[in-house]
Amino acid sequence: MAIIEAVALRKVFRSRERQPGIGGAIAALFTRSYVDKVAVDDISFSLERGELVGYIGPNGAGKSTTIKMLTGILVPTSGVLRVAGIVPHTHRMANAANIGVVFGQRSQLYWDLPLRESFELLRAIYDVPRDRYLQNMKHFAEILDLDRFLSTPVRQLSLGERMRGDFAAAMLHDPKIVYLDEPTIGLDVIAKEAIREFIGTVNRERGTTVILTTHDLADVERLSRRIILIDDGTVIYDGSLERLRDEYGTHRTLVVSLAEPYPDFEVAGTEIVSREANLVRLRFNRREITAEALIRRVTEHYHITDVSIIEPDIESIVRTIYLEGYHDGSDGAPS
Amino acid sequence: MAREATYRFDVFTSIASVLVRVYLLRMVWLALYARNAAPSDLPLHAIITYSTVALLMGLVMDIDQTRALHDKLHDGSIATDFMKPISVPLYFFADGTGEVLFHAALIVPSLLFALLIVHIDVPSLPVMGVFLVSFFLGYLVGFFINFLLNCIAFWTLEIQAMQLIVTWVTDLFGGEIIPLVIFPVFLQRIAFLLPFASMFSTPLLIYVGVIKPERYLQVLGVQLLWVTVLAVIASFVWRAGAKRIVVQGG
Repeated sequence: MAIIEAVALRKVFRSRERQPGIGGAIAALFTRSYVDKVAVDDISFSLERGELVGYIGPNGAGKSTTIKMLTGILVPTSGVLRVAGIVPHTHRMANAANIGVVFGQRSQLYWDLPLRESFELLRAIYDVPRDRYLQNMKHFAEILDLDRFLSTPVRQLSLGERMRGDFAAAMLHDPKIVYLDEPTIGLDVIAKEAIREFIGTVNRERGTTVILTTHDLADVERLSRRIILIDDGTVIYDGSLERLRDEYGTHRTLVVSLAEPYPDFEVAGTEIVSREANLVRLRFNRREITAEALIRRVTEHYHITDVSIIEPDIESIVRTIYLEGYHDGSDGAPS
Repeated sequence: MAREATYRFDVFTSIASVLVRVYLLRMVWLALYARNAAPSDLPLHAIITYSTVALLMGLVMDIDQTRALHDKLHDGSIATDFMKPISVPLYFFADGTGEVLFHAALIVPSLLFALLIVHIDVPSLPVMGVFLVSFFLGYLVGFFINFLLNCIAFWTLEIQAMQLIVTWVTDLFGGEIIPLVIFPVFLQRIAFLLPFASMFSTPLLIYVGVIKPERYLQVLGVQLLWVTVLAVIASFVWRAGAKRIVVQGG
């Protein structure tokens, strides 16, 4: 049974339109015109218990709006939404007990209190049994290395420390589902790695369902098998990372070091991406020619000293899709 | 609590300022009473008691304990409260009352000092009890008024103008600065039709004995009525606001 079920979800924001300047301000007192902004147009997906899904899209694609509907703080304009059998916005409190949320840009910790006190308050708010609380705290303190700053007021914590605190806070009540909204934003490499490690551990060991929105595709590559790609408020891809790479990553790059400076170096069926002295990057479609055949083709005409192949990274694939839209890669790759 | 206690400096400055104000108020009333005939039901010692107790009550009542609601609507962090399995208005009530209780703790030393500087009357134990009940009802009236004002932020995100007006009306018609009983009759009538008199005037007049025991039930009933009316309005406004909540940014 699916733990999250979204069908034809739609959210339209209505805001008042105002002409600029003093005239506009006065006019706004008498007439009201509204502009509708479609944040989420038509989004459907379903998640199984224990899945870890990357929810990806450019700025303004509707990621955060979807998350807010999932948490019950935004009411969908239309569509059906069920989270663990509950309609979030009609049963906000029951839904809240099932979920944990981490916003990279917003903390749910109490600013002036030592970190430990925030946890104590959350324990009371979520009504976590004392022994379960202690057990979780011990576990999280271990993985997230919290002990060093448990008694420091939150406002004095570094961003990395605060984020680790926020993760522990979101997981304290053993939520069935956690929503992570850009959890690694602004973190250094080490802190990012610690957070990723934690997300992976929680998903594996506790079977927590995770929805992860991020701009850092390394998060997704490291953690999730499935990604949902959205743009303009609609789902443009939903499936495994491998399939996306397969369909879109049709172009690989062959890096060749030439033994001699051939001024008119050229290889049929490839495109020269760049050339710095004797180092040439060639782009080729692996559906048209295998790497082996290509290398043979090169060595037939030229002397080379070294060769390597660069696989397409998920980041460039996603960038391509944002720019050109998604079309099914089976009938030939987009250029 | 720890959040408030962080600002220890605050504690000392506010005690000092209370003492100065208590002293000044006494001088003002002394001067006024020296030139005019005293009203029969508020002799000099009663008016000094009245304004000193009013000042100390103000330490608690003048706090906008739901300010956090406005702030959180403004910066969008209200979202994290809505993501918790709690009643959000109750949370603000608890949070605000906690803050108020902290400030109330300040009153104890101020009260003792005030007793040293100026002589104020202390009523009998039963009257003190009724005063405290009335004070609490007044606190609830004040809470709901502040809550409603901060709820305006659901719609416009700017509430200062409205708050200024209400502060001004409260100052005039609440009885915190000038007892309503020395107002001209028509102003008194207006004042008693507004909820603000329930905040200061009623408990204070009980304290100084202008309201006699036979009227206790009546005046407490009026306060309770205001609490109920405002609570009902507040719950409607809250529901309407929560429905149209648009989280800023993010």
